[in-house]
Amino acid sequence: MPQKQREKFFRFYLPLFLFLVFLLFPFYWMFATTFKSDVELYNLKLNPFLIHTWSLANLKHLFFETRFLRWLYNTFFVAITSTVISLSASLLAAYGIQRIRFKGSNLMGIGIFFCYLVPPTILFIPLATMIFKLHLWDSLWALSLIYPTFLIPFCTWLLMGYFNSIPKELEECAMMDGASRMWIFWRVIIPLSLPGILSAGIFAFTLSWNEYLYALTFISSSLKKTVSVGLVTELVRGDVYHWGPLMAGALFGSVPVALVYSFFVEYYVAGITGALKE
Amino acid sequence: MSERKKKEGKKVSRRDFIKKSAAGLAGAGLATLSMDSLFQWNPALAAEVKAPTFKLEKNPVVKVLRWSGFVKSDEQIWNANTKKWEKETGGKVVTEYLSWEDVRSKAAMEASVGAGHDIVLGWYDDPHLYPDKLLDVSDVATYLGKKYGGWYPVCEMYGKLYGTDKWIALPIGSAGICINYRVSWVKEAGYEKLPSDIEGFIKCCKKLKAKGHPTGFALGHAVGDGNTWTHWWLWSFGGKAVEKDGKTIAINSKETLQALDAAKELYETMIPGVASWLDPHNNKAFLSGQISVTSNGNSIFYASRKKFPEINKDLMTMNFPVGPVGHPAELSMISQAFIFKHTPVPNAAKHYLTFMFEKAQYGKWESETWGYITQTLKDYYNLPAWKKDPRITPYRDCVKRMLWNGYAGPLGPASAAAMSEYVIVDMFADVCVGGKSPKAAAAAAERKLKKFYR
Repeated sequence: MPQKQREKFFRFYLPLFLFLVFLLFPFYWMFATTFKSDVELYNLKLNPFLIHTWSLANLKHLFFETRFLRWLYNTFFVAITSTVISLSASLLAAYGIQRIRFKGSNLMGIGIFFCYLVPPTILFIPLATMIFKLHLWDSLWALSLIYPTFLIPFCTWLLMGYFNSIPKELEECAMMDGASRMWIFWRVIIPLSLPGILSAGIFAFTLSWNEYLYALTFISSSLKKTVSVGLVTELVRGDVYHWGPLMAGALFGSVPVALVYSFFVEYYVAGITGALKE
Repeated sequence: MSERKKKEGKKVSRRDFIKKSAAGLAGAGLATLSMDSLFQWNPALAAEVKAPTFKLEKNPVVKVLRWSGFVKSDEQIWNANTKKWEKETGGKVVTEYLSWEDVRSKAAMEASVGAGHDIVLGWYDDPHLYPDKLLDVSDVATYLGKKYGGWYPVCEMYGKLYGTDKWIALPIGSAGICINYRVSWVKEAGYEKLPSDIEGFIKCCKKLKAKGHPTGFALGHAVGDGNTWTHWWLWSFGGKAVEKDGKTIAINSKETLQALDAAKELYETMIPGVASWLDPHNNKAFLSGQISVTSNGNSIFYASRKKFPEINKDLMTMNFPVGPVGHPAELSMISQAFIFKHTPVPNAAKHYLTFMFEKAQYGKWESETWGYITQTLKDYYNLPAWKKDPRITPYRDCVKRMLWNGYAGPLGPASAAAMSEYVIVDMFADVCVGGKSPKAAAAAAERKLKKFYR
């Protein structure tokens, strides 16, 4: 192997390979456990990294003996609605704080960020009171409205950083041409901020998808559970863990998030790094 | 009889109970036996006991929060019994099943908010964390006690508000814990069965380990398995976290040090990795043939019946061995049903719980769960279900042999906090795995307990 190629192998491909193994191993483990029978799982004489006898029993359990598809639908509904609500509010908040520069806007920006740092374990009791008073107990809308409490601060903070990278001159030119604030916001800022909006959206979607505490607290009936809560509450029975269906659920539950990331990876990177420079 | 005299009469009975419980310090086993005689069940009398009447609200909907069935048949029978109640009364019951560790936080939140479910099947000290939020269920408890031979003393401790005769919860059953072991390996070690005293038990475990069959007891933060076996071990040597007054910390004692020394001996017979074990780990290790002895509910037996027949054939169970104190001193998980004051259907909730405790329902529930639920009412000790298999028979004694969490102090926020912070489990783990001396571990536990018992 020529010197240059060898160097590239050791400096690039080998670390990349090791990184991929590290990153993908949990997925492989979920995959392998999904297709193993209970007897094989408990047989420690067999190589645990290989599937010796393929079994579909765990998939059958997951899809036909639990309400997994319904939980998937619920999770989609909650993740999408809370993401849309959060992004709408965050765009306006971030633009206002970053561009209008009213008195105390900096302080407000910092304040919003601090809201993100308040742990949900402290908030869930006062939030529960509100949910009961609004008669939203055991309703998916409870989650759609509660999740923005931690998504809006995060998205606002992320978008404030992104808006900061958009040159003010663009807005000033539009103003000289007679455009209003809202017109500029809608026609200039939003199209230019698309990578930032997408990356905030992806974050919001993922956080909503994986959320556990609020979903556990505010949802009661099996038909309204989300994936993260449904799997744990219905496939963990005391000291008996149904590992096969649990891993199958984890595998299929992570696919949508992986798809979202893979479709928007370029925007996502641009959103994080800031695409526009003066 | 005047009201006052009536009350005094009740007080004497309570004092009697407390006296017996206190005697447990020196001989809880004997106390339990004498309490049994106080509640001799008489079928003729039971038939005469009149059920309290509850006028059901119009079209009542009772919302129940309970733990997911440890064994599949639990939920099936519970739901079937519930349907039966719905059919008989025209009411409706909405049952939410949660993993057992999550019931606590959700119930606490609902108690704090004052809304949510009407009935909760919680664990251990739950009702004693928010007694003012709970409905008085003395009428139901008294009726059931009279009809079914009385409650076990430990159930009175769990169900009644400390220092009063007021029932705030109905102990519905215990997920009893027993020793599970492999018969053939114990025979290979030279024993017919596992010894029923701790000294002999340790010797046998050492021989098992020498034969290549290690034991396994959870020393991680296993809510069920970790807490139950370490408390049993501590109490069996005469150690305890706190005195009866609920203020004097008693953990740093010579009995505790003896218990820790002996635990270290037992630990040497264990498989590596027990320090990180949670509740499912010993099940997996036992079913995969890695360990010869562990402590568990009947889930190992239940799971092995169909999926691991070879293990099932070789499985035997027994109650926890007795330690130097000379009487059983165990901890099993106990579930209690309680009704929130915020319920709009208090009568229906009481009626439903009474119905679920009646023999026609309770007996079937116990029978079909293969001993997972140990009775809290003495009459159910003789249900035919307990004779279905010799491996489930020992589980019927779990409630009879157990003490309460936080023994010898009262149940309440302090005992609950000590358990949720795993003070006792960590003390054992510090000695067995962490390399701390028993003195240092007991002192550390004492410091932690002082934070809770003020």
